[in-house]
Amino acid sequence: MSHHDHQRLHALDAVRGFALLLGVAFHAALSFMPGWPPGLWAMQDNSPSAFLGGAAFVSHAFRMTLFFFIAGYFARLLHGRLGTAGFWKNRALRIGVPLVAGWVVLFPLISAVWLAGLTKVFGGALPEMPGMPKVAGAFPLTHLWFLYQLLQFYALALLLAGLVARLDRGQALRGLADRAVASVLRLPVVAVVVLALPVACALLPLPNWFYWTGIPTPDQTLIPQVAPLVGYGTAFATGWLVHRSAGALPALARHWLPNLLAGALAAAWMLASMRTTPMAPDGVPAEPLVLFDGAVLTKSGFALMHGIAAWGLALGLTGAALRWLDGYSPVRRYVADASYWIYLAHLPVVAALQVWVGHWPLHWSLKYPFVLVASLAVLFASYHWLVRPTLIGQLLNGRRVRRGKGDSPRPEPPSPAPHPTRSSATRDGASPVASLQGITRSFGGVVALDRVELQLRHGELLALLGPNGAGKTTAISLWLGLLEPDAGRVELLGGPPQETARRQGLGAMMQDVELPRELTPRELVRLASSYYADPLDLDECLRRAGATAFADRAYGKLSGGQKRLAQFAVAICGQPRVLFLDEPSVGLDVQAREALWASIRGLLATGCSIVLTTHYLEEAEALADRVAVIAKGRLVASGSVDEMRALVARRQVSCETRLDEAEVAAWPGVQEVRRERNRLHLTAIDAERVVRRLLDQDPALSRLEVREAGLNEAFNTLTKEAA
Amino acid sequence: MNIALQAHQLPAPSPRRLLRAYAEEIRCEALRMLRNPGLAVPVLLMPVALYALIALVVAGEAPAEDPTVGVFLFAAFSVMATSMPGLFGIGASLAMEREMGLLRLKRAQPAPAGAWLVAKIACGLGFGVLAYVPVLVVALLAGRLDLDASRIVALSLVLVASAIPFCAMGLMIGTLFRGSAAPGYANLVYLPGCYLSGMFFPLPGSLHWQVPVWPQFHVIQLAMHAAGVGTFQFEPLAMAIASAIGFTMLFSAVAIWRLARKG
Repeated sequence: MSHHDHQRLHALDAVRGFALLLGVAFHAALSFMPGWPPGLWAMQDNSPSAFLGGAAFVSHAFRMTLFFFIAGYFARLLHGRLGTAGFWKNRALRIGVPLVAGWVVLFPLISAVWLAGLTKVFGGALPEMPGMPKVAGAFPLTHLWFLYQLLQFYALALLLAGLVARLDRGQALRGLADRAVASVLRLPVVAVVVLALPVACALLPLPNWFYWTGIPTPDQTLIPQVAPLVGYGTAFATGWLVHRSAGALPALARHWLPNLLAGALAAAWMLASMRTTPMAPDGVPAEPLVLFDGAVLTKSGFALMHGIAAWGLALGLTGAALRWLDGYSPVRRYVADASYWIYLAHLPVVAALQVWVGHWPLHWSLKYPFVLVASLAVLFASYHWLVRPTLIGQLLNGRRVRRGKGDSPRPEPPSPAPHPTRSSATRDGASPVASLQGITRSFGGVVALDRVELQLRHGELLALLGPNGAGKTTAISLWLGLLEPDAGRVELLGGPPQETARRQGLGAMMQDVELPRELTPRELVRLASSYYADPLDLDECLRRAGATAFADRAYGKLSGGQKRLAQFAVAICGQPRVLFLDEPSVGLDVQAREALWASIRGLLATGCSIVLTTHYLEEAEALADRVAVIAKGRLVASGSVDEMRALVARRQVSCETRLDEAEVAAWPGVQEVRRERNRLHLTAIDAERVVRRLLDQDPALSRLEVREAGLNEAFNTLTKEAA
Repeated sequence: MNIALQAHQLPAPSPRRLLRAYAEEIRCEALRMLRNPGLAVPVLLMPVALYALIALVVAGEAPAEDPTVGVFLFAAFSVMATSMPGLFGIGASLAMEREMGLLRLKRAQPAPAGAWLVAKIACGLGFGVLAYVPVLVVALLAGRLDLDASRIVALSLVLVASAIPFCAMGLMIGTLFRGSAAPGYANLVYLPGCYLSGMFFPLPGSLHWQVPVWPQFHVIQLAMHAAGVGTFQFEPLAMAIASAIGFTMLFSAVAIWRLARKG
């Protein structure tokens, strides 16, 4: 990738988009072809155009060569980036799925439009239609044949690349090829002629070659056809080799004009030679064509001219794009991204419009632009609304662009609810409002909770602490009645939680739950309120949750913190007796968190009992009456905040000493002793006294260290002990 | 405090509040559909646009010469109009809600049992009517519905009711697949059915054996019986009714089974 910078890729991306959109313009012109027999296309317009005939011929001469050339380039790029397995996975999704799904959807539509068009062309009396060729593998691929052809090229390219890698271990062969490609491209026009030769060789042996069609389109069969394999395969292989070769792209950019002129001259020559009739007449394609001034153009000459036109225009246009379109442009990027979908979907739209306008008494110069503009408008609109932001866009372009993405403002801190002191009246009842009794619950053999006993008393806040995966969310899910325990008993408000009546007294804010993006917090709270017999006033609820400021903004447009506050509002709107808050302050900034805490205290003051899970000890310390620490599914510690503080107040003492481990462990205030070679590590509650005694008993003691055991450390010690 | 007493003290919502919960649920569901242009636009506009294009413009004078063809085309595009909101609206939103954990939250809330389901089906039917009316208006204005008023009413009722099997299909898809994949799978089930049931164009005889597999075929048959168009009646009325109900029950059963197992 070092020599092919991203600027270049933007240019090539634009070229590919151009080739695909040119295909739409080409097909849109096909109902205006002069001299075409009726029935060859879905519609025969009553205003044919020699100009469109010429333009369509020229564009058709090079557009697929250009496309496969770029495709070869990107194929090698992608293969280098993803490896063989990744490459096939990517291609299966981006090429294989559109081929199959596109065909299933498009073929009936195309058939219907064709049927309608031909009925119109023949005035209702359909002549006998030529059926599919009666040969093995016959299949109407329609314009999606290029995807099928691409898959063939991918398979061949990887097969060849694997073979070459095995045979050419010293890279000698590949080095030679790279130098050959670079040196041929360095000369103007020569590359065009060299590449035209295989195209001519592929076209010459065809018994029924219609000059107009150039490389015959393999859209009628699943059996790979020699002429397109060679003709377009040359283009694909050239793209692949150009990606290998360091100097190839700059050379193309340098010689864009001579290459383009060579192609244009060849195309003009062919146009002139076909002036009498746009198609070689049946039965005589092998004969020399008589030109208007008596000169003749043989089949071989025409075949060579075709190759030169295709390659001159393809290389010339690529060079021009590298020269002028090498920067990033959002518009070009958008069009390039849209082009794949547009080309896939365009045929029924274009043909239906052609059928519609076919008999209008208007000149083609009005009708053709109308067909083209109207179909592009429909296709771009469908891309913008139905493809770009959806799974289809992700499939076709590798990414999905969110609708109306914009930056959402920071969450405003919620307005704090009144914070009265806790009255004894709300705390007298010590009986549990919710309990887990001997609960065991496992998921697929992994024990999430192991014989856990927990009680939530009336009017208290119980904080469940523990690392990720400890079992906190499982405990809450059991209480909410979302899970059944394997063993033990769950009680909520005096009964099993599954009973609907209990849920009248329940509020919940769950982790990893997203509310509907399209609704506003006000609507969400209103909906949740409607479930309860005696809900809070809507505005009061929003105010208590601190959600008033963004109550009328769509939930999907809120920031992470605002979403949490909206969920909090939904949880408290029913004036619940028991409230479950699973990690409520994740994503909140300090101010918003403080205000949320104030709201929670306000709820406690009204007699609500709360279970809160959290990672943060400060949160538990600020709010909880009791703390329970869970680790690996077991209840490790539980007690009042003061008791937890005592755990937290421990200090780490370490020193080099001869004192005996067991002796020190027996001292008052020492909780834990561990020896590491000549160093003793102890955990002590009353560190000063322990240190004094250590120094007394061992005058030779050295390298003394005393460290505060932080909140997290205490917590970690507890949870590690459980492990 | 006595634990057993506490539950009794919980106030039960009055019938009026219960009704209000259902209404609120329906209102929110409708708002969500309306505010989702990726769903509302194709679902509401595509059928009438396609009908106008194919039946009026592309098909040209054929329906004018044979009025029954006009009725058949009208019924086909109307089934498309009434069935898409149910299928895609319910399927996509339910799949997304399951992914978002919304159903889990609803189970923890005292929401009336099945309120969300009632809301989704009501919206599926309601949006079906919204999509159907423009098709009906266009057909009447273009004079492509050559039927008595009573026949038109019967046909309309059948067409609106034909959304029910597709609501069930949407439920099934919403419970079988996750999030953003659901619309794709819905298409995969729905689109082949539209073509292979002979809904949009006549099928060759070699394909006739497989049409009963598609619910589209049976609802179109119901519509043809309601419209009294004999030339397009390929199965008896009782058979069509039984099939439509059968499909609804089959899809609902799969959905209920999945919801019970996975939530």
